[in-house]
Amino acid sequence: MDSATPPILKVEGMSVDIKVPAGMLHAVNRIDFSVNPGETFCIVGESGCGKTMTSLALMRLLPRSAKLTADKLEFDGHDLLNMSEARMAELRGDRLGMIFQDPMTSLNPVYTIGDQLEEVYLRHRKSTRKEARARAEFMLERVGIMSPALRLRQYPHQLSGGLRQRVMIAMTLMCEPRLVIADEPTTALDVTVQVQILQLLARLQKEFGMAIILITHNLGIVARMADHLAVMYAGKIVETGSAVDVFTRPQHPYTQGLLRCMPTHDHGAQVSRLGSIPGIVPSLIGEQHGCGFRNRCEFARDICASGEIELRTPQGASAYRCVLSPDERPARVVEAAQ
Amino acid sequence: MNVQPAMSAAVAAQESPALEISGVGRSFHVGAGFLRKGKTLRAVDDVNLTVRRGEVLGIVGESGSGKTTLSRMMLGLMKPTDGSIRMDGQDIRTISRSDLSRKVQPIFQDPYSSLNPRKTIGQIISLPLETHGNGTPAERRAAVEQMMLQVGLPPRLIHSYPSQLSGGQRQRVAIARALMIRPEILICDEPTSALDVSVQAQILNLLKDLRETFNLTYIFITHDLGILEYIADRVAVMYMGRVVEEAPARQLMRNPRHPYAHALLGSMLTPDPTLDLPDLHLGRGFPDPLNPPTGCSFHPRCPKAMPECSNLAPKPLRNDNGMVECHLYREGNPQ
Repeated sequence: MDSATPPILKVEGMSVDIKVPAGMLHAVNRIDFSVNPGETFCIVGESGCGKTMTSLALMRLLPRSAKLTADKLEFDGHDLLNMSEARMAELRGDRLGMIFQDPMTSLNPVYTIGDQLEEVYLRHRKSTRKEARARAEFMLERVGIMSPALRLRQYPHQLSGGLRQRVMIAMTLMCEPRLVIADEPTTALDVTVQVQILQLLARLQKEFGMAIILITHNLGIVARMADHLAVMYAGKIVETGSAVDVFTRPQHPYTQGLLRCMPTHDHGAQVSRLGSIPGIVPSLIGEQHGCGFRNRCEFARDICASGEIELRTPQGASAYRCVLSPDERPARVVEAAQ
Repeated sequence: MNVQPAMSAAVAAQESPALEISGVGRSFHVGAGFLRKGKTLRAVDDVNLTVRRGEVLGIVGESGSGKTTLSRMMLGLMKPTDGSIRMDGQDIRTISRSDLSRKVQPIFQDPYSSLNPRKTIGQIISLPLETHGNGTPAERRAAVEQMMLQVGLPPRLIHSYPSQLSGGQRQRVAIARALMIRPEILICDEPTSALDVSVQAQILNLLKDLRETFNLTYIFITHDLGILEYIADRVAVMYMGRVVEEAPARQLMRNPRHPYAHALLGSMLTPDPTLDLPDLHLGRGFPDPLNPPTGCSFHPRCPKAMPECSNLAPKPLRNDNGMVECHLYREGNPQ
């Protein structure tokens, strides 16, 4: 936030509304954030909070029934909001990359790994087939795949889940994008492989200097990967700041609750009970008023139900949307988990 | 609601463990076709586990490690090709289907596909009672409402359909259904991995409470050691069909012995922003289950592999506290 270089991505007042039979579903509700060049920005939240819709909106890959609006949507000096579909297609896969959750369904089963990697390069770099093949081999090697020449001739089904995700990452990096959006890139993988893939992403980020937007529900991943992060709930960003601030001094009751739900690893110290957040997420269909978290919040009061909850930006802590500051909330059960 | 097990079984139940798995293996023949000989895949290989009454045994391992195959055998849905599974001292092959279902019930991973979408919540929860012919319709209805309260479902949902419920509520329905005929053992196969963190914590707390209320024994299958630290008494770590380490949960968390258990523990990402990603020092050579590596099946990925690991299978080393199967640990050289 304090760096002089302009952000690579600037999002202001972005909303995604989806028409459903029951009315209008406000999946993403006027969110603002910006991502600095070369940093990792995490968007964390539970299912239905709007994090995937946010990533699809940034790539302009929303379903037809969804409507994207924003005050500003600027990537690397380009206005994403009003860009033509043709220009957008040029940007995707070149300056703007995306890694999806499930590497099985996002690779084409009837083409070889080589065909799919080379296509990206041929399309954006007007290169020869030979150059593209050499580039593909180089990228496979960079993502830690042994004997790349052999792998290029294989089909996706011949690779394990971890290898497929490495191929996806190699494909995304073929043209050295400035920004990579990774939506739950390790959720489908085993825990040991997950760590290896995250390490790979962090290493490649240093090597190629790209910014990453990492979308996940896993707070452990966020803590280890993020420079800055945004916590989403019911289509809104309820808290945002640096990883250290959010994890050491969470301000919003939802963030605090989420952190209490994590089984902490205390080397065998038996925890008798996990903290949990009662209730379920509200419906996002129809006009949204007040704080989306109020029906699950232990501190909720009448004022939470109306108007727009202002963003508070305290000194030396993360920004959050709550009518009460942590000091104003009644001090009860806050550390009950211990 | 009275379950009446056979008297002989009740006597045997006094001293025998709730569940005894000895030398259990399961092979599948895959890839066989016209003029083509198939191969044998050993999904579960020589597993020995004992679960005491009221204990929570966690089974952890990655996909393909055989944990789900093992759970299907414990439920009697699949027959072991080797070894035997005894419940209350009785071989489950000699227990009838309906008697077995009174002893052991499953809770599956996906509460979206494991509930019949065309039945109401009341019908789903009372079905086990109807199947076993327990009680009159009025008694069954009262029992359903009582159980719904115990698992934290508002009884007004009794006429709702699964599609009208959230993921956490559906998992509560699955738990209620499993408990209706008061089984002794619940086999929970990744019961929370389809749920959000905040809801996962609700369900884990519920399972912990129900264990006390109904005096249950759990087999808890997961890939997440963090959950087991919270809920399990003992943990068995599976790798490629074999149990490679078994120990009290606390001990395993504090001092894992097998290098794979070590890596699993290292993969737990605690929400600490001052820490970097852990370095697991694991190789990436993923073994093909159809052509398992010779010797110890973990050696292609093991950071501590020694020459003998690639040609000699390690022998299990047992003590009062558990078991480890690794060349680093052998008789007379316990550490």
